[in-house]
Amino acid sequence: MTCKDFEAQLDAYIDNELPPAVVGEMTEHLGACAACARSHERQLALRRALTQHAPALQAPPGLRASIRQAIRAQIRPAATPRLPEWRWLAAAAVLVGVVAGTWRVATTRARAEALTDALLASHVRSLLGSHLLDVASSDQHTVKPWFNGKLDYSPSVYDLAGRGYPLLGGRLDYVANGAVAALVYGRRQHVISVFLWPAERGPTAGPATVTRQGYHMLHWIAPDYAYWVVSDLGSTELREFTQLLQRADSAAARPDGR
Amino acid sequence: MRERAHSTIAEGTLAPSELARFEALVLPHLDAAYTLARYLMDNDDDAQDVAQEALLRALKYFDGFRGDDARAWVLAIVRNACHTWQRTGRSHPVAVEFNEELHSGAVGDEHPEAALLRAADREAVRGAVAALPLEFREVIILREVQGLSYKEIGEIAEIPVGTVMSRLSRARRRLARALSSVARERS
Repeated sequence: MTCKDFEAQLDAYIDNELPPAVVGEMTEHLGACAACARSHERQLALRRALTQHAPALQAPPGLRASIRQAIRAQIRPAATPRLPEWRWLAAAAVLVGVVAGTWRVATTRARAEALTDALLASHVRSLLGSHLLDVASSDQHTVKPWFNGKLDYSPSVYDLAGRGYPLLGGRLDYVANGAVAALVYGRRQHVISVFLWPAERGPTAGPATVTRQGYHMLHWIAPDYAYWVVSDLGSTELREFTQLLQRADSAAARPDGR
Repeated sequence: MRERAHSTIAEGTLAPSELARFEALVLPHLDAAYTLARYLMDNDDDAQDVAQEALLRALKYFDGFRGDDARAWVLAIVRNACHTWQRTGRSHPVAVEFNEELHSGAVGDEHPEAALLRAADREAVRGAVAALPLEFREVIILREVQGLSYKEIGEIAEIPVGTVMSRLSRARRRLARALSSVARERS
């Protein structure tokens, strides 16, 4: 192999695009020719400079949210029936009796899906910058009273900053047939929305965990409240966060307040 | 003036199952789409706009996507969107034009030393990449940043594999010279 041949195929060589036989010849030439070895080294140095200073990038969260929202706007409306229709379906299911079993499963699922849709939409909307917080404060004694007179219940607000989940504030949202409290906590650059409303208000149907579009949603019923937690935080950390909330809830429920 | 991306599809026409398929196949490549757009466009606003437009165009034509390489498919759409933007003058043109006359020494007559390239910093590298003409820049980004094969790059850029190779080679020569001259000026 001549230096000219080597030079002509050097790019394909470092890009692993040559047939094995030619690779062998190239490698052999590389060992024998100092000038070509230098030009090979130069190519690798350029590659290192590019890898180091022109890296692959991550889409900004705002872009991601905006694309997701635009995509969701394309869903055929039939996919997300409005609440009265499910109610009608639910009533029909009861009337049909025997068939009701399957119907009920379907309507429960549709209702649960619509609920998670609404909660996810609320969370994503809040991230789009228009309505993250109505009351911005890391002080639970500021956030909790803010809901007075705006809701017919007083949501539990906890200070979890010591555990790495600082309170950012709260907002009022309209989900599942009524105004609900959404408490907002942070974890590094992630935002966690905690929705809660009195359990008797319903609907409380829904799986315990849902993952949708990269967001995790966890759901549980505390004695008095239905909880939904939505975040793009990793599921392990989000689970840890919900355990902290549940522990704080049960501590608050004990008569001695511990 | 073209319409904004999100108005190009009629609202509410997508079956939920298609949406789920799109989210599973295409959305994971959003970072790659944004990366290509960011390097091909001159500023971040344009890059984000073009990435969003491309993703929505991908959704529009998703029915017709039958291949198994969603990443290459999406990147081809992003690449075309970038070219369209540049052609229609929606973005600012690249300001720095490479001087072919000045920088086109014969092959092998003077190799900038590897040490000069190693000294290149972030600003110099990004500047040199940004100064490449679009057809060189896209092959460099697809190869060096996104690690695609010549065949994939050829499909995305709609050129034969031989042209991929020669463009890559020329692009690298330009980059090496630009970085070496920056390093020499500084030393």
